[in-house]
Amino acid sequence: MTFFLLIFPPLLAALIATLVRPYRAFVGWIGAWLSLISLGAALTIAAQVVNGQTPLWGFKIEYLNLEDVLRADSLSALIMVCVAGVASLALFLSPGLGRQQITNPHWGELAYAPNQLRRYHVFINLFIAAMLMAVSANNVGVMWITIEATTVFSAFIIPLKLNRASIEASWKYILICSVGIALAFVGTVLGYFDFVTLSGRAENALNWTVLLATAPTLHPEVMRLAFVFLLIGYGTKAGIAPMHTWKPDAYGESPAPLTALMASSLFAVAMYALLRWKAVADATLGAGYTDSLFIALGLLSLTIAAFSVVLATDYKRMFAYSSIEHTGLMCLGFALGPLGTFAALLHLVNHTAAKSLMFFLVDNIEHKYRSPLIERTRGLLKTMPWTGAIFAFGLMTLIGLPPGGIFITEFALFRAGFALHHPWLMGAALALLAVVFVSFINHLNKMLYGVPAADDINMERPVEKFSWRLALLLIPVALLVTLGLTLPAPLATLINQSVAILSKP
Amino acid sequence: MDTLFSQLSTLGSSVILLFGITLLWRKSLRAYTDAFRWQSAALTVMFLIIGYFGNDPELYVVAVFLFILKVLILPRYLERMEQRFGDQRESQPYVNIVTSLMLSGLLVLLAYVVTRPLVLVSDLPTRGGLPLAMGLIFVGLFVVITRKKALTQIVGFLVMENGIALLAVLGTFGIPIIVELGVFLDVLMGFLVMQVFVYHIHSTFESIDVDQMNKLKH
Repeated sequence: MTFFLLIFPPLLAALIATLVRPYRAFVGWIGAWLSLISLGAALTIAAQVVNGQTPLWGFKIEYLNLEDVLRADSLSALIMVCVAGVASLALFLSPGLGRQQITNPHWGELAYAPNQLRRYHVFINLFIAAMLMAVSANNVGVMWITIEATTVFSAFIIPLKLNRASIEASWKYILICSVGIALAFVGTVLGYFDFVTLSGRAENALNWTVLLATAPTLHPEVMRLAFVFLLIGYGTKAGIAPMHTWKPDAYGESPAPLTALMASSLFAVAMYALLRWKAVADATLGAGYTDSLFIALGLLSLTIAAFSVVLATDYKRMFAYSSIEHTGLMCLGFALGPLGTFAALLHLVNHTAAKSLMFFLVDNIEHKYRSPLIERTRGLLKTMPWTGAIFAFGLMTLIGLPPGGIFITEFALFRAGFALHHPWLMGAALALLAVVFVSFINHLNKMLYGVPAADDINMERPVEKFSWRLALLLIPVALLVTLGLTLPAPLATLINQSVAILSKP
Repeated sequence: MDTLFSQLSTLGSSVILLFGITLLWRKSLRAYTDAFRWQSAALTVMFLIIGYFGNDPELYVVAVFLFILKVLILPRYLERMEQRFGDQRESQPYVNIVTSLMLSGLLVLLAYVVTRPLVLVSDLPTRGGLPLAMGLIFVGLFVVITRKKALTQIVGFLVMENGIALLAVLGTFGIPIIVELGVFLDVLMGFLVMQVFVYHIHSTFESIDVDQMNKLKH
């Protein structure tokens, strides 16, 4: 029942958006309010999991055995809350909710036409539903199908405005991600192949619980091959280098709420799929194999991201590179035993809050300055005091300054690394983080201060006023500060349980 | 009986792989469409053979869906695009034809190396075809990477999907049907959205060469 309340609201919202044409503002509002039901359901599931339950749902008709097709343990619940939370925020901040945006007869460069808004609201809700489904599915085949579906749904709305750049970005996105995710399916098939070879065909063999239980008896050499495919596949979706190339383009060209969702939720979902398989592979092979792959790719991601941030001239792309950097950090964390896994999961939560916050702010800035270039965005604090201030806070959180939660998680992560005697690895990672730190501070300085050129600014409202949209953004800010100061008990339980799931001896 | 079965499955897999390699030495979209259609037809037959010998009626159902989707619907869409854009020729791929063919030989060899553990652990009569299926996946991937026309890339992707379907049916006698049908749905949706993009690319860039898409850097 809770699963129904989790997944049905976005589907209903998508249906309403499909039926109402032309687009009207109430469609967007209904979607936004419905998303709160989803969020409530996700929190309920999380509460149940914290209390030691494992919510299950399924049915059986004749020979079609779909018992426990949906299942939530603490790892699913954690990601579910992240997805549903960002989804609510994104839907409340979506284009098309304000009256003036729809009735304005002169479409400004950044305003959307009704048909674009309709398309946006249909597919963003389907996208959210697919992500929620992916983290609730027990069957790794179903998980794969829904993750592939997220690619398709998001590809429809990346080029909401058709121009050369957005088409290029979305073509690269759909091609790279479809091919990548197809490789993940090869990995899934190979895992199933191994299961079938050992114990014959079974309808529920693709259930993660069954796979994990059988894992110790699977063939290591087959599992090794399968995991490489899975890592390339889901790693493409998560944007781990060297499969990250679609990320800056897609983040740079998508509408802001979609970017926020892709950078935080979609990334979390892809990572979740990878972690599920890592647990299975570890049970077959011991943790060493997957850990060394994670460390290699994590370090590569960090390196590529660090130097790309230095060269960045476009602030949206800059945050995409920052995403790759944090992806790399989390990969390192997941390879560093239970302590590192704990740090990486908490980092994931923090990153979800921080990155979604940044992309919403970036949208405000782009509306005002009409340019994504850092050098044309001067004097943020003067023209947009609220956005500028929150932007500075978010950016400092992202590079690991207190009181943001990322400070704590990065600290924990490095402690885990040093405790496991990886001084060289940790030293290299720290050096790369320092590069990111310096260049981010440099870019931030350029954006916050200075005098904006007169023709750069949308002069209608010279100074930004505080609005409910900005007030909503204080939620992730509050979350980040809270996580920087303390670790709430339910969250700690949730993460500890997830660590136990992921690092079974 | 088993020997006939294993011979048939290896033969079938080879035929399916050959249709994939056709993409490398033909240049026109029409040839690609035909190759894909025939390959899918061969794949359907493969599903029927394995369903018959493996005694699994579920595979007949999957074969029907496969036939409708990949022999009837998708080639029809490809033909429609061909009529819309004229017979687009892949005149200058990033890797020329001779090199492509030699590389495809290497890719199939690589597939034999990669799938060695699979062939060793499996005792299915169909295991001889596993390296060929993996080879087809690699060839599809190669087409996506080295060809310039958006449409060729789509066909490469579809061929890769066929390779995965072949791998699944040879190695496991079919994945659970609910997953199989979900995959078909995804392939269809993925194809449709790619197709929409090809129209967008064509109207925005006035051609479907992807190498002019080089605006986004840093």
